[in-house]
Amino acid sequence: MADGHTKPETMQETDVIELLLAQHGMIRNLFDEVEQAPADRRQEAFTRLVRLLAVHETAEEEIVHPFARAEIDGGEGVADDRLAEEREAKELLQHMDEAGTEDRDFTKNLLMLRAAVEAHARSEERYEFNKIIQHTTAAQRRAMGAGVKAAEAMAPTHPDPGTESASKNLLVGTPVAMMDRARDAIRQALGKRS
Amino acid sequence: MTFNPLRERGIPLDKQLRNWRELNVAPIDADHADPYTRCRIITMNGIEVESILFSHQLARHCPDLELKQQLARVRYIEAQQQKVVNWLLPGLASVLETTIAYEQVAVDLTAWVARMEPDEYLRQAYQFGVLEDFDHLYRYANLYEMIEHRKAEKIVDQLTEVMPGRPTIRHHRDPVDNVREPYDRSSAAPISKLHALTIMSAEQQTMNFYMNVGPTYMEPIARQLYQEIGLIEEEHVTHYESLVDPGESWWEMLLNHEYNECYLYHSFMETESDPKVKNIWELHLNMELEHLRLAAELFKKHDGRDPEQVCAPELPAPVTFEPNKAYLRELIATQIDYTTLGTGYVQDAHERFEKMQEALMGGEQPPSERVIEENRAKSGEDYRLETEGKHPVRDLRR
Repeated sequence: MADGHTKPETMQETDVIELLLAQHGMIRNLFDEVEQAPADRRQEAFTRLVRLLAVHETAEEEIVHPFARAEIDGGEGVADDRLAEEREAKELLQHMDEAGTEDRDFTKNLLMLRAAVEAHARSEERYEFNKIIQHTTAAQRRAMGAGVKAAEAMAPTHPDPGTESASKNLLVGTPVAMMDRARDAIRQALGKRS
Repeated sequence: MTFNPLRERGIPLDKQLRNWRELNVAPIDADHADPYTRCRIITMNGIEVESILFSHQLARHCPDLELKQQLARVRYIEAQQQKVVNWLLPGLASVLETTIAYEQVAVDLTAWVARMEPDEYLRQAYQFGVLEDFDHLYRYANLYEMIEHRKAEKIVDQLTEVMPGRPTIRHHRDPVDNVREPYDRSSAAPISKLHALTIMSAEQQTMNFYMNVGPTYMEPIARQLYQEIGLIEEEHVTHYESLVDPGESWWEMLLNHEYNECYLYHSFMETESDPKVKNIWELHLNMELEHLRLAAELFKKHDGRDPEQVCAPELPAPVTFEPNKAYLRELIATQIDYTTLGTGYVQDAHERFEKMQEALMGGEQPPSERVIEENRAKSGEDYRLETEGKHPVRDLRR
């Protein structure tokens, strides 16, 4: 039986759009895992979800939305809409992280977060990703993908036993702290000054 | 408890119009809904689309102004029903997820109909078709894993297996061989007429769906797979529509359409797990009873016969979405190499079939084969959901 878990860190893709699409699928799978986890494993699954969300949303903020803003017709408005969605989700995520998985509203909040995150992802696919592909070459998308890969390497979602290397601990603390670390890694990989 | 829709009273037609607020239904949850609730929605959408398009065709052949006005009134309500039913689908679901749900409908609905169909020739037509829909599910599931990185079991749950059926590459027949013999309207069992109408409508909606959403994909393999399977849906609509006796008068056809809508809404009301959706099935049943009464009046007046002569005296057992795993495995084991010749079935790849294959393939692998190869290259192996053990056909095991 094949391992049903999703492991972004082992993905072969290097194209930024393929990477982000794959992460959308993984985020949804992780929501399933958190929902189905027994109480004693829920916190651990939730932490993995938070890490991937932090990496993913930061990569989009650093790479996708600026590109959309600069290059796509009407991209300013599209990027603003996406950022507003992200802000809302982030606030909820921050609150859930503070309250912990024992919180009595956790399940209700998780459903709300899931709905917000998935609607946001679908909107990106429809209004941004399509156009980015139109406006870029494969080489450009691979270059943009390097930033996503760098951030992804910090957040193994299912580390193999025994190889839980230092990378596992790179993303700790609050979601905001994780996002800051991810942002640094992305900027470094893309050769930008942070 | 017997239920004769010809004797029941529904909601008067002038009380059926809904306002914007009533039309604005809450969609089902894309991640947590019962997969068979989604199947019932997709089925009823196909039935409503057929009722609308059939009524338009009838109106275009109808010289009487008053009759056309009555058809328009009922049709507007059918159009509202279609909006309510199809708008139960969530905007969150991707096109490919909805596609996989369409194939789950095609598999489990057609399998149910094949199991219940009393006529041998008609049953064979459903058994033949279901093995193809079953394979389409496998192809789309692999596309889904490849581009959305999700497994189709997230959509079909463990209710429907996902593995090769009759390979899609072998579905491309000479169009002549897609035409079947019709049932005889004077001797066919009422349930047989309802079955034919149901499957024809579902396949027609699938054809419409693929022909319209296919080009919205960016990925070349996705665009190409929708083209290929879209053309097989054309074959399936030809296959199933030719089962219906073309000797039925327009009024008899209208009567059968309305009766079938009552049958299916009643079936789904009886079997629905989601209470909010069940309320919609119940409301629509009560609307359809009135549409049926009006169709029965037209039938009496213009056809000169009594509706009870052509319709079932009570509704047959409810159409039920349930797993058909053992039944499908049995069909796969015995009928996988069937194709059609004229209006019958053979196991040999005959000359006309081979000629069509050669012309269409142009010496290349079709998208349905390439999608599997590409996913193997990407994910390590093809995607399958074999819950009941190894594939029944040795050559199709991994």
